[in-house]
Amino acid sequence: MLKKKICLLGSYGVGKTSLVARYVHSMFADKYHTTVGVKIDKKVLDVEGQELTLMLWDMAGEEDGAPVRLNQVKDASGYLLVADGTRGKTLDVARSIQQRVESEIGSRPFLLLINKADLRETWEVSDTDLASSGWTVIETSAKSGQHVEEAFATLSSRMLQAQADDSEDDD
Amino acid sequence: MTPKTTTDDLFAPLGLAVFERLPTGLFQAVGHLPAWLPVKEDSVDLAGHFPILEIFLPECEALWQAGGPAPMQSDVWTEPDHAGGEIYLQAVAAAAGGRHFIALRSLPAALFTYQQLAHDFELEKEKVERLSHELEAKRREAERATQAKSDFLATMSHEIRTPLNAIIGMADVLSSTSLTGEQKKCVDIFQRNGVALLNLINDILDLSRVESGHVELEATDLDLREVVARAMEVVEVRATAKGLSLRQTIAPDVPRYLIGDPNRLRQIIINLLGNSIKFTDHGGLEVKVEPDPENTGPGRLRFAITDTGIGIPEDKLGLIFESFSQADSSTTRRYGGTGLGLTISKQLVELMDGRIWVESQVGVGSTFFFTARFQVQQDQSERTAQDTPQTTHASLAELEARAAGLRILLVDDSEDNRILILSYLKKTRSTIDIAEDGQRAVEFFRTGHYDVVLMDVEMPVMDGYQATREIRRIEKESGAPPTPVLALTAHAFAEMKVKGYEAGFTDLLTKPIRQTTLLEALAKHGSSGGSGSSEAERPVVAPASIRIRVEEGMEDVVPGYLAKRRAEVAVYRERLGAGDFDAIRKLAHKMKGTGGGYGFPKLTELGAALEKGAIQSDTSAIRENLDEFALYLESVKLEYLS
Repeated sequence: MLKKKICLLGSYGVGKTSLVARYVHSMFADKYHTTVGVKIDKKVLDVEGQELTLMLWDMAGEEDGAPVRLNQVKDASGYLLVADGTRGKTLDVARSIQQRVESEIGSRPFLLLINKADLRETWEVSDTDLASSGWTVIETSAKSGQHVEEAFATLSSRMLQAQADDSEDDD
Repeated sequence: MTPKTTTDDLFAPLGLAVFERLPTGLFQAVGHLPAWLPVKEDSVDLAGHFPILEIFLPECEALWQAGGPAPMQSDVWTEPDHAGGEIYLQAVAAAAGGRHFIALRSLPAALFTYQQLAHDFELEKEKVERLSHELEAKRREAERATQAKSDFLATMSHEIRTPLNAIIGMADVLSSTSLTGEQKKCVDIFQRNGVALLNLINDILDLSRVESGHVELEATDLDLREVVARAMEVVEVRATAKGLSLRQTIAPDVPRYLIGDPNRLRQIIINLLGNSIKFTDHGGLEVKVEPDPENTGPGRLRFAITDTGIGIPEDKLGLIFESFSQADSSTTRRYGGTGLGLTISKQLVELMDGRIWVESQVGVGSTFFFTARFQVQQDQSERTAQDTPQTTHASLAELEARAAGLRILLVDDSEDNRILILSYLKKTRSTIDIAEDGQRAVEFFRTGHYDVVLMDVEMPVMDGYQATREIRRIEKESGAPPTPVLALTAHAFAEMKVKGYEAGFTDLLTKPIRQTTLLEALAKHGSSGGSGSSEAERPVVAPASIRIRVEEGMEDVVPGYLAKRRAEVAVYRERLGAGDFDAIRKLAHKMKGTGGGYGFPKLTELGAALEKGAIQSDTSAIRENLDEFALYLESVKLEYLS
């Protein structure tokens, strides 16, 4: 049985917990509930006939004075950077986290999710903001479910691809 | 005897679940496991249950191998509890007596309440900031829209008033000529509807100005009795035409001399009276002024305009002061009007710190009330007629006489308006030079002498403000006293007035300009002799009549010929204003060829002089000859043999 760890990283209040709740339990709660420490959930997938268990590490949102615990990210196979489209500065937080991950624990497959796509018309984040990074960006809505499955599926296949590349290198 | 308590039994009440590490790598519960722990077996794979310990336990092993003494603790994590809520856990590692322990402890939720509150607060704060940004943007947008509306109205006002000026003015001119009964009727309709349209435009502009806060009330001396009387005068004709009586009662304890805005007060009374007349077919109207019974205080007055009209149904009483509403939309068709007058009145009354309301009974009549606050003048002693400005209207002929013989520079880019002004001034025997734009006006002003300048404001090349500033500069340089500059503008906005006076306008006439208004202004400003040269240096020319004998057989054509030449004077001046020397040359050439033939060798001579002037583009020569031409035409008296 294949098991992969995915971390959800980003500022507080961007919807990391809601994305997991939508993905794993098909639920959404409007009320904001901050995450204490880390909350671990799992989801079993079938990828091309193979069972894959995703361990989803929903980590407390980064805030001033409480940066993301990078030691929990170390053994992750990939991560989702989450930002809130209605709050422009959460995109900066996501970028800064990505830089720290990259420089301190190295490169991992990741995606940038811009959440709250149901409020698209009030977004502060613009298309030009997103285009500049060259990253894979997915607009999601934990509320409506838009692109949530796709986001996790895309990251999973990236991780599996990365694993395959690694083992080829090993040969 | 109390039962023996082991330390193990204390762990659960303390909120601790303690495990000892077995050599197998599994963990053995020590004492009773607490109910909150989602682990029930005695021997467990802790990291399997709590994946976060996959990171923590290897670190513990390393510490234990090294024989480190200090306890260490894991990061906090969240687990679901069996009631559908959450618990917050932390692992602590310790070594004692060569044995290794992991304790899991449940942290009270209250420890994290601050975190929830801080995030809630931050998110709300951001939301408020976003909303206030949006609000600010909307406010700016609204401001821009208001500005655009204001600009639009200013432009529209100008664009509409300019042609209206020509229409009403020309109708006035036309009505003063001899007309058949049928024609007179048509001209009356022109006049009436032109004025109605103008009033409507004024109302719309007025309302938008009041609404956008552009109207500031004046605080000048006012004579209440006179304001009421003047308002009654305005509506008198309409009331009389409908056979309605008009009465006014001013309570004896109402102070007569107040400080306030007489024009706006009069406007309110006229609006209310006009409205009452519209809806009253029998009986009469009364204006009553008394101290405000509900709000006593010096200068607090209550006005009541009572009619015996159709009345207003009770459910419509509140509506009638709203824009574009009459009690019944069918009344618009029957009685006309837009109902804007009442809305404007309401706004003005509110500016006067008062309120307006109506009491009415269908079929009996209505009373419109409004209150207003004024300051009371100290001196309430009766003024003699000399104290108050002359308000009686001089007749047209008197005005023409008073404005006679002026040298006027007319500056206007609209040919229609030039012709209109010229026809207004036809009988004043004024000498009029015409400039089509501000720049030509300044050129004229440098070389000519004028008693008064009539200056349009909006013109191509150089506008009226700039031209007036130039004129003031020229006067300053030469030390000449200021020539009255009367601005002609279709813009009725207060800010235009300020700008105009700053530029040096002496007075401002708002288009459409009525003939009497223009003549009054000329009589007032022109005769004061601003240039100093008008009365003193210039000989008063009282043209002696020049008798011309009409040759036999020419009786039918000579008067017509002469009339055409008289009409041409204005055309020459107009073309000269436009710098169109070619047109002048053509006209003059024709006159040179015909004058003698009709028995006017002087006209041939003047035609030749004008033609020469035109060929040489000599403005001042043309002007001199034109003056002579005009004077000659005025003096000519035809004599017939028979």
